[in-house]
Amino acid sequence: MVQRSTSTFVGVVLTLILVLGLLIGGGFYVRTLITQAFDDTAAIRAALGYSRQILVAQLDEETGVRGFAATGDRVFVGPYDTARARFPVLATKLQAELDAIGEHDAYAAAVDAAAINARWVQMVAQPILASHPDLQHAIVLELEGKALIDRFRADSDRINADVVHRQQVSQAAIRDAIDRINVLVGTAAVFIAAVGAVFLEMQRRNDVRIQRERLRAEHEQREAETLRAAYDAEKRIADSLQEAIAQRPLPTLPTLRFSATYVPATEETKVGGDWYDALELPNNRVLFAIGDVTGHGIEAAVTMNRARQALISSALLEGDPAAVLGRVNAEMYRQNAPLVTAVAGFADAGTYEFVYSTAGHPPPLLIEPGRRPRLLPCGSLPLGALGGSVYQLHRIQSVPGATLVLYTDGAVEHSRNVIEGEELLIEAAAGAAEQRVDDTASFIHKTIFDGRAVGDDVAILTISFAAETATGLRISADDAQSAFVGRLGRNGPARTSRVAPQNRRSTALPERRAS
Amino acid sequence: MSAISVIRLTGELEISRKDEISRALHLVGSEGGVLVDFFDVTYADSTTLAELLRFRREADGQGIPVAIVIGSRQFARLIQYAGLGDAFPVFDNRGAALTYLGAEAKA
Repeated sequence: MVQRSTSTFVGVVLTLILVLGLLIGGGFYVRTLITQAFDDTAAIRAALGYSRQILVAQLDEETGVRGFAATGDRVFVGPYDTARARFPVLATKLQAELDAIGEHDAYAAAVDAAAINARWVQMVAQPILASHPDLQHAIVLELEGKALIDRFRADSDRINADVVHRQQVSQAAIRDAIDRINVLVGTAAVFIAAVGAVFLEMQRRNDVRIQRERLRAEHEQREAETLRAAYDAEKRIADSLQEAIAQRPLPTLPTLRFSATYVPATEETKVGGDWYDALELPNNRVLFAIGDVTGHGIEAAVTMNRARQALISSALLEGDPAAVLGRVNAEMYRQNAPLVTAVAGFADAGTYEFVYSTAGHPPPLLIEPGRRPRLLPCGSLPLGALGGSVYQLHRIQSVPGATLVLYTDGAVEHSRNVIEGEELLIEAAAGAAEQRVDDTASFIHKTIFDGRAVGDDVAILTISFAAETATGLRISADDAQSAFVGRLGRNGPARTSRVAPQNRRSTALPERRAS
Repeated sequence: MSAISVIRLTGELEISRKDEISRALHLVGSEGGVLVDFFDVTYADSTTLAELLRFRREADGQGIPVAIVIGSRQFARLIQYAGLGDAFPVFDNRGAALTYLGAEAKA
């Protein structure tokens, strides 16, 4: 914008300089024309004057000669002599002026007139004056000189006519020059006015634009402040809801150990709906749950709270996790809530058994002493997706010292490559087992993210059976690999038994080849 | 006469492409069945998975068979997490999916 108005200004200045240049140039040209016309005028006037004076001189000479011839009185000879003396001077001056204004015909006529005068003086005037006054003789001589006088008059008329014509031409040239000045000045005035108008209009538009931009910037700033305030309020509420979850204490039991971590997204625009729970039940049993609500902000936090309460109250009524999730699903579907993914289950410290179900959630990870950590089966739709979803129940017979790791998708989807994410998670879990850390959850998080920015909330909950002395150790069986083999969702490991019936919308699913 | 329509998306499906994904997943003129071709999809966030489920519900409501083709192992894993194998017949190639849809249309 600044650049634009600068270039406009430069354009206007350049235009003005151009116009001024044209004006000055035109002025000089016109001035030359006028000067020349005035010089001509002076010369023309002089020429007219001399032309009249030689005519008068000629008449004086004639009058003098005629008077002497008629009276014999010498008194007439005086004017003749005077005129006679002036004539050559006047003739020379007339010729010079005519030459100066370039009137060549008139110049020739003037030269001729001078010559005629000289001849007349020689042939008429001098013979008359030299003799005794004799009228008769004088008349004869004068008649003989009549042709010369006529020719002189003709020359004089021609000079006069030419010079008068020249005078008219010259006056016309002055009028033209004046007209040109008018046109030039008029054009320049119009041009300057136009340029000025354009400049002013541009200035005005510029001002309007600046004003508009200022208003818009102010408006945007106000809007941003409003949004910011709304967002801050929402974040405060969501944060406090989230905090309430983090603050719920984990049970303290002699037979089970827990660790948990919740790390919100580094980007503050994302306040997630992650949660976890561990609740002590009678008979050495513990309810565990972890979940994640689709979306962010207050709605996610509120949905999370509902899902969580529904899950706990269902767990108090139902004995198996599949039934618990079935109840929660029905409730969430009825409320048309955002989708929720979750794992819910029971850990039995007496039998070292984990029983769980998943709903659209990444699989639990099991760390057992002396074995590589492994991912357990998962599957079934998220909570709230379909009204009648039934969830698979997975029963894992584990061993003393085993740790079950539950986490939300942020822990494995950070790189967008979930297979890679799972490998990192398994590595981190293996590291935790190797180093026998107390806070397994935090260790895993730190190992995976290593101080990197986290794009999504991550919650991790671990449940560990107390280690047993060597006797009575139960050996877990085949690895429960949930690889990309067979029909998705049905590739449970050998030791996983399903209690819930299959709930397939389409009973005629074709077998899928392994890729 | 009922034709099978194909909905094809590629790359990473995430919330920034929500409009594109919502527009793509429609049922108009798909009475013969829909082949959701996600062969070249490598990632889908929970928003997209929710869209897929909505689509599945709508198709189910109109009795339109739907099959999904997945080529990426990591995306297949996400589908497995989400339990979408319960909601969709999932295939790893288009031919098998079309055969399935053809058979469904006749049934």
